[in-house]
Amino acid sequence: MPRDGRRHLSSQRPSCLAVTWPPPPPPRTARATEGRRGRAMSAALAVARQRLLGAARGPLILQRNSMRWDGKTYEEIPIAHIKATYNNTHIQVVSFDNMPFARTSCGTEGFQNAKKGTAIAAQTAGIAAAVKARGKGVFHVRVMVKGLGPGRKAAIKGLTMGGLEVISITDNTPVPHNGCRPRKARRM
Amino acid sequence: MANHLRFIGRTVMVQNGNVEAAYGALNRILSHDGIIDDVKRRRYYEKPCRRRQRLAYEACRRVYNAEMARKLAFMSRKNRQDPWLGC
Repeated sequence: MPRDGRRHLSSQRPSCLAVTWPPPPPPRTARATEGRRGRAMSAALAVARQRLLGAARGPLILQRNSMRWDGKTYEEIPIAHIKATYNNTHIQVVSFDNMPFARTSCGTEGFQNAKKGTAIAAQTAGIAAAVKARGKGVFHVRVMVKGLGPGRKAAIKGLTMGGLEVISITDNTPVPHNGCRPRKARRM
Repeated sequence: MANHLRFIGRTVMVQNGNVEAAYGALNRILSHDGIIDDVKRRRYYEKPCRRRQRLAYEACRRVYNAEMARKLAFMSRKNRQDPWLGC
């Protein structure tokens, strides 16, 4: 560290970063489909996923995660984005490289105005999206939820009822670090 | 978490196909970390005066609850030495 007190930014590592970064290169195996970035990402993800799964395997060892769903690794499974606003719920099923499979919302299912902002509408939209995605050959899906609305839980339930198997749930609700100022409080 | 390490933070894996339990676990983690309250609060702007009042109220409430819990734990002791020693 330089003695003039000014620390170079690159020498500071945030202690909150649980994953070792940059990840050490994984052992070379014959994996034709993954590029360099995919390998680095999957190594970091494998590390974090060991911690998430809570597997009692002793200290965290960087090992290749052997969980497979239909022969696919976690990173190759399609994603179901659920945007649950207070007035509506949108669901879009996308592949891992952002090719769309299905897109539904409460409005496309025939609900209007206030009825779109209900749990039943979200469940119907979930079932419809699951059926469409199933028709395109999607079986397992990892869910990404955004927003706190009435359709947050119901949409996931709808996806399960429609025949898709949910393997993980992520919360992607946008939390600003004091960015834009929201609208004023109601009923002044 | 936007595009940084997308499926690492705030992720819960589903065990044995039990989606309800996974969702409950996710909710518990989020509320314990204060994210759900934060999102609800940020829906409308909270003026600085209201924010100061709320923080003071929460601090007082925390102190009060801690003291009350301490008192109750003290009162509900069962295993203690003979209270009527000598009588």
